[in-house]
Amino acid sequence: MKRGRRWYAVSAGITVVALAIVLWVLLLLAKDGLAGWHWSRLTRFPRELRSGGGIAPELVNTVSMVMLAECFSAPVGMAVAVWLTDYAPPAAWVGWLKRVLIGFQSIPAIVVGLIVYQTLVDGLGWPLSVGSGTIALAVLNLPAVAVLGATVLSEVPGRLREGSLALGATRIQTVWRLMLPAALPALIDQLGYSWARLAGETAALIFTAGINVGPRWGWFQPGETLAVHFWYVRTEGAMPDWRMVAAATGLVLVTITAGAVLGAKLWAARILAKRGVGVSERG
Amino acid sequence: MAAITMERVSVWYGRVKALNDVSLEVEPGSVLALIGPSGCGKSTLLRVLNRLVERTPAARVAGRVLIDGHDILAPDVDLALLRRRVGMIFQRPVSFPFSIFDNVAYGPRLHGMKNPHQLRRVVEGSLKQAALWDEVRGKLRRPAHGLSGGQQQRLALARALAVNPEAILMDEPTSSLDPGSAARIEELVVHLKGQYTVLIVTHNLQQAARVSDFTGFLDRGQLIELGETSQIFTAPRDRRTEAYLTGQFE
Ligand SMILES: Nc1ncnc2c1ncn2[C@@H]1O[C@H](COP(=O)(O)OP(=O)(O)O)[C@@H](O)[C@H]1O
Ligand SMILES: [Mg+2]
Repeated sequence: MKRGRRWYAVSAGITVVALAIVLWVLLLLAKDGLAGWHWSRLTRFPRELRSGGGIAPELVNTVSMVMLAECFSAPVGMAVAVWLTDYAPPAAWVGWLKRVLIGFQSIPAIVVGLIVYQTLVDGLGWPLSVGSGTIALAVLNLPAVAVLGATVLSEVPGRLREGSLALGATRIQTVWRLMLPAALPALIDQLGYSWARLAGETAALIFTAGINVGPRWGWFQPGETLAVHFWYVRTEGAMPDWRMVAAATGLVLVTITAGAVLGAKLWAARILAKRGVGVSERG
Repeated sequence: MAAITMERVSVWYGRVKALNDVSLEVEPGSVLALIGPSGCGKSTLLRVLNRLVERTPAARVAGRVLIDGHDILAPDVDLALLRRRVGMIFQRPVSFPFSIFDNVAYGPRLHGMKNPHQLRRVVEGSLKQAALWDEVRGKLRRPAHGLSGGQQQRLALARALAVNPEAILMDEPTSSLDPGSAARIEELVVHLKGQYTVLIVTHNLQQAARVSDFTGFLDRGQLIELGETSQIFTAPRDRRTEAYLTGQFE
């Protein structure tokens, strides 16, 4: 009891310290970012040597690349997740595949970036571009979707599945009509986090999407994202207002990632409320 | 209404023998109550009849089970069709996280019914049969999880009835409910008699006596005795049945 309480205090303390650090960083960003803030930063192109540059292409690249990467990786990852949870392949296989997936997840993003670089850029001659970066993000995301999807699906109570089978549903019908809809709120919640994680990715993108932007958006146009731009401006920025540009980029990035996480949570909560989960007796 | 025949059915879970050489016949449209101490194989017996038992990886079934003369253990049996004909209600009510309407419409939709008017008719009819209609009419779009436990069990029954089964398996359908809700389920069972063949597992001996035409007593995987309910309760032939009914079971 006492021991439990001490650990509770320690972990609470660590949480408070971590939150304080995050808050401190956010305040620093806000201070610099808001000081040099102008809404035109959202609509202008970046400037290398003069002040007053914007981040419009980076914003468009980030949103489009993350969205496309989710579109590629989520269905495939979920298919793997469904296969793992509902098709009860030989247990040995499942254990093996789960280990492989978890192993993949622990590969540093920069290595994933290198592999994609080797195949697409070096191998197929793709430019450093939106396309190469999107594929890198999708590859990075795939094992995470499969593992989290399998976890979420396995949390749908087995008795629901049995109830569906007992009505004469086939396995695939049970997946489509019961399991996926039942898991939907949790999946949407996870999608928010996954979106945030991809939007914040840098290591895998620096040598796949590149650190430049093109004059217009395109699959083979240079694909610098907000996170990469932030890193680039902080380390190499030669514009006089680099400190403010970096902070503004960081602020926008934090805003859209937090927006994605919160938006997903609200959406999931709405679905749950409609389903009456947590509603007690009512007519 | 289906006639059900089991011939020398045994079930193993790995090394554990859960059913031992059970043979029985259920008349179409009658209610058979299964009683016996917990772990004696009652649920296993029900789950053989819709072959849910096979979901346990180590399970093995031997013997013959005939429903209306068809051997349902044959390897080429269409499980979806079998389970449509043999519905099941579980101990804890199973409600899908959808609206009341979508819960009842789940089965008919599975089997291809799309027409909204037709679906509505089936949903209304099934809810009436399950004596839930008066409580939920006008609220069909509300979440099923907002219903009370007893209402959810009747919803599960409505959902099972919506696919037009011939037999219904009930595994302790009232043991998680309050006495009032349990009584309503009992009434329903009596009402279903004659239209459906019903097998009901229960720990409540009075309930078995009230609702069933026939009663079977199981012990350690064996069907000790099966007969007309009045005979089983007043003049059991086997010593073990008598001991169980009088509460003198070990
Ligand atoms: N999935 C399972 N795996 C292994 N053994 C099981 C399983 N289900 C039931 N059993 C065993 O089979 C026997 C009969 O169980 P069951 O049919 O659930 O009995 P009842 O419903 O009468 O309580 C018990 O000994 C139980 O431990
Ligand atoms: Mg049981």
